[in-house]
Amino acid sequence: MSEAKKTGLQVVVVTPEQTALDVPVDFVALPLVDGELGILKDHAPTIGRLGFGEMRVRHENKTDRYYVDGGFVQIADNVVSVLTGFALPVEDLKADEIRYRLEEAESKTDAKGAAAALRRQIVDQCKAQLRMLEKA
Amino acid sequence: MANPRALDKRRKSIRNIKKITRTMELIATARFKKAMDRAAAATAYTDRITQVVADLAMAGLEVSHPLLEEHADVKSSALLVLTANRGLCGGYNGNVIRMAARLRTELMELTPEFVMDVTGKRGISGFKFRDIELNQTFLQFDDQPAFADVEQIADVYLQQYIAGELDRLDVVYTQFHSIARQTATVETLLPMGSLVDAPEATAESRAKSLYEFVPSATSILEEVVPTSFKVKLFKCFLDSAVSEQIARMVAMKSATENANEMIKNLSMTYNRARQSKITGEIMEVIGGVEALEG
Repeated sequence: MSEAKKTGLQVVVVTPEQTALDVPVDFVALPLVDGELGILKDHAPTIGRLGFGEMRVRHENKTDRYYVDGGFVQIADNVVSVLTGFALPVEDLKADEIRYRLEEAESKTDAKGAAAALRRQIVDQCKAQLRMLEKA
Repeated sequence: MANPRALDKRRKSIRNIKKITRTMELIATARFKKAMDRAAAATAYTDRITQVVADLAMAGLEVSHPLLEEHADVKSSALLVLTANRGLCGGYNGNVIRMAARLRTELMELTPEFVMDVTGKRGISGFKFRDIELNQTFLQFDDQPAFADVEQIADVYLQQYIAGELDRLDVVYTQFHSIARQTATVETLLPMGSLVDAPEATAESRAKSLYEFVPSATSILEEVVPTSFKVKLFKCFLDSAVSEQIARMVAMKSATENANEMIKNLSMTYNRARQSKITGEIMEVIGGVEALEG
């Protein structure tokens, strides 16, 4: 945390399985449900709902990209806490696996109710992941 | 008198078993440490979720969600039992199975529709032995349960509950209090009741709350409630995993100690038997010599 004071902003990514990231940063961009949110030092205290998409973390002119899988973000006192199901560096995403999952989900057109919601969620997740890979 | 050779053979086999139990103890210790770390990581997540909920409550938002509400008519219930895939861990599986069987009788009286889901080979075979029918069974959970796997199970329950197909969900698992104490526990996960013991929102706290909610507090709440359920369920799995390793550690430790004790006793008997055999042989020789002289 002492480093956080120097740079000003600290980002902490927590998943139920581990603390995936805890680093000082200059800038964070997060995928909220209704669009991207960019965060600099001294941001107003905010609680936001995350969508599926890309989180960009910039520190000393180096940008790391992560996929975050929904969840929340809490910003307070220059600490950005990201609570998500899982977070993966973009390099760890596997295009073949994602495409396979996407195709499988898209083929289930007869799903109703809860199953349809789940299907839509998988499609959204996969598409967000593929978009990130295409950009890389 | 016991045969010294047979005694020695037995002693050797006990030594071999001791080696196995000792190794199992060490493995359990290593796994326990890993499982414990994961449980600690999950606590970090839970704490933050709780913080978000508390902040929501502080902002004066009324916390209401279909998952928090009790169904007026409780017709169908489900029981999820968390057991281990492997045995040799003392009373760990037995306690959970016994408790679940008792609860099953109670729930069957309360609700006409009752289903039972079980994780772990030991539980599945335990209930099969008791002729209890199971709905779903899972085998994929070991010492490091994955959140994604738990989430899948949780999603099914959530959807059933919201659709009104399920009115109550109980989980039987081994709760971890401390390294020295783990107990088989029943927890009612659905309906969830209150999320946290959040302080009542007062005008003052509302004014103090600085948070901006994006896109809206309601939207966040919609996501927070199912997430807390999933995390609660995940915590049950983690507790079970940690407790299993501790139970195995303790069981294997006492097995090793027992083996030591047995080896000690057998060695004593073996030495005595050997000595008396030698004495017997000497007596025979002396007797033979005396017979010749006489």
